[in-house]
Amino acid sequence: MVRQVILIEGEQRNFENIIPALKNSLDFEIAAVYRTAYAALGQSRMFNPDLFLIDVEDAENINIISEFVELYRDSMIIGLLDFWDSEKNLSCIEAGAAGCILKTFKLEEIRKSLELYKLRGKNSPSRIISFFSPKGRAGRTTTASILALTIAEKSGERVALIDADLQFGDMAVFFDIEPEHTLIEVSQDIKLLNPLTFDPYFYKLRENVSLLAAPNKPEYAELVEVKSLVEIVHLACALFRYVLIDLPIGFNPVTIGMYDLAEINIVMTMMNKISDIHHMRRAIEMFQTLDRVKQLYTCFTRVEPCNDDERLKIQRELGYPVTDILPNGYHINSIINRGKLLKGLPKDSVLVRKIEQIADDLIQNRR
Amino acid sequence: MVARRKNVIISVFSTTPGVGKTLTSINLSAGLAYDGYKVCLLDLDLQFGDVMNYLRLNSDRTIARAQRVFKNFSSTFNIRDFLVRYSYKQLNFYILPAPRLVHDSYQIEVATVMQFVDKYLQDFDFIVLDLNPMFSSLNLAMLDLSTLITYVGTIDFLPALKNFKVGYDALIRFEYEEQKIRLIENRAGSQKVIKSEDVERLLGGTFYHRLPNDFISANKSIEEGVPLMFSSPTSELSKSFLELASRYTNKYTIEPVREIEQQTSKGFFSRTLDALFG
Repeated sequence: MVRQVILIEGEQRNFENIIPALKNSLDFEIAAVYRTAYAALGQSRMFNPDLFLIDVEDAENINIISEFVELYRDSMIIGLLDFWDSEKNLSCIEAGAAGCILKTFKLEEIRKSLELYKLRGKNSPSRIISFFSPKGRAGRTTTASILALTIAEKSGERVALIDADLQFGDMAVFFDIEPEHTLIEVSQDIKLLNPLTFDPYFYKLRENVSLLAAPNKPEYAELVEVKSLVEIVHLACALFRYVLIDLPIGFNPVTIGMYDLAEINIVMTMMNKISDIHHMRRAIEMFQTLDRVKQLYTCFTRVEPCNDDERLKIQRELGYPVTDILPNGYHINSIINRGKLLKGLPKDSVLVRKIEQIADDLIQNRR
Repeated sequence: MVARRKNVIISVFSTTPGVGKTLTSINLSAGLAYDGYKVCLLDLDLQFGDVMNYLRLNSDRTIARAQRVFKNFSSTFNIRDFLVRYSYKQLNFYILPAPRLVHDSYQIEVATVMQFVDKYLQDFDFIVLDLNPMFSSLNLAMLDLSTLITYVGTIDFLPALKNFKVGYDALIRFEYEEQKIRLIENRAGSQKVIKSEDVERLLGGTFYHRLPNDFISANKSIEEGVPLMFSSPTSELSKSFLELASRYTNKYTIEPVREIEQQTSKGFFSRTLDALFG
């Protein structure tokens, strides 16, 4: 299939570069070239375009993207950037574009980018979900892993797992994999990366689930700055519709930085002793002293019996809404112990079913 | 002249959360006190410490308040004013509790805690430090000061085991002497898949002590807020804790002459951290 391309670019130099690149390909054909988006908006209708390449260094053009989305529902809209800029990329996605590419105009790169943006899923901003717990063994990693697999399966969109438990992240062990890259290399390179060059740092767990692993030695943790972690998450949003972040325990610059960034913050505690409720309450109070008001999603794990009465009981004790309760996951633990998490989730497990409900809520924007 | 330390500092550490560090700290402290020693337990899991919760104690005395007074009124500062006495039957030991507010934990300075441990708590025969499962500058400073590092792990879950090994390897890399590190297996025998011997091979070290798996007694102790020797005196777990305490004290009484040199220099990792991040 030959794609009809509309190019909107004000700079002569740039379209002198792109036109030959696309002209030499068999799968793209330049239908028309415009210097301004306004000119292109109505006129492009004549060409049944499949793809718009719109210069978004010109801020005016970003503002008009939503009108293209409205008029050309079947076309893909891509912003063109001189340098990678996650913020501009987000503005384009918010307007309904698929994302941005750099004005390098190598045919192979354009093809690959379009493929990745298609895989990403809906043309709307990514949902960033963080998993916090005051103390360990609360089930952060188990829940995040299962949720990632479930969201990807149900939505068909692309999901990233970022293991930001920098000293002792064990997601790679959960999946029984040995990733080539970790957050160390990414944080060193982040300034130079764009979505296309970033993608290979991920370990592909499934077709649409990828993992960015934690450093493999605890002393390396200090090499990952919060600032670069923030940039990493922003860049991941260009490639993934869902970004799930596993955090270290307790409050520290990483957990607070990611709390600021995430749309959904899940605060987890295991329900073993009465002091666990106490820790949850103290964690909530601490979050409330941070001046950004955000809803917290509280989740108690190892709750038996795992029913609504029990949830309400914990809620009364806590004095704060309890969003989720999860049961013990002995079955899952033994699957993880045998390194078989990627072989398929046990659908009869109550834990998995409960996490599926959370996935549904997220996919359908109910939370 | 090298300053000499008379007391013994035992840190209870692990890089895996939820392996029973606090339970070990409390029952080790109780065991040492039972053997007639003066014991002070510091809850250095500053954000979410559980010592007071496990012992069902409540007090305004905390390490945060101790530091405030220490910094503002150092001439009249007496750390005893901030210790909570745990008392049951004939048994007594002291606790320096973690801050009540999570926010206060941020204010605690490593240098202050070092002074407390190093200088102000010298009257105690044993200082037990309950640490949180991270390599933080506080924990590393405490590990540097420690006579013994009680490194606790459970081997029932593969990811937890990985962190147990990663943490142990790191301790060795940071140049802590192997003899200083006492590997303790908690919940020994709780499962059949992962064997202790395999873990020892993996670690390249042997378990110094094994605490049997006894979820019921452990929970009972926490529920009642008393050490295992009182809540479940005949349980294997209680006996095992007393045995651990006496192994530590035997070591202490057999070799009292070989006093432990105070480490004035910092350990490797602590230095590296300082160099990198101030």
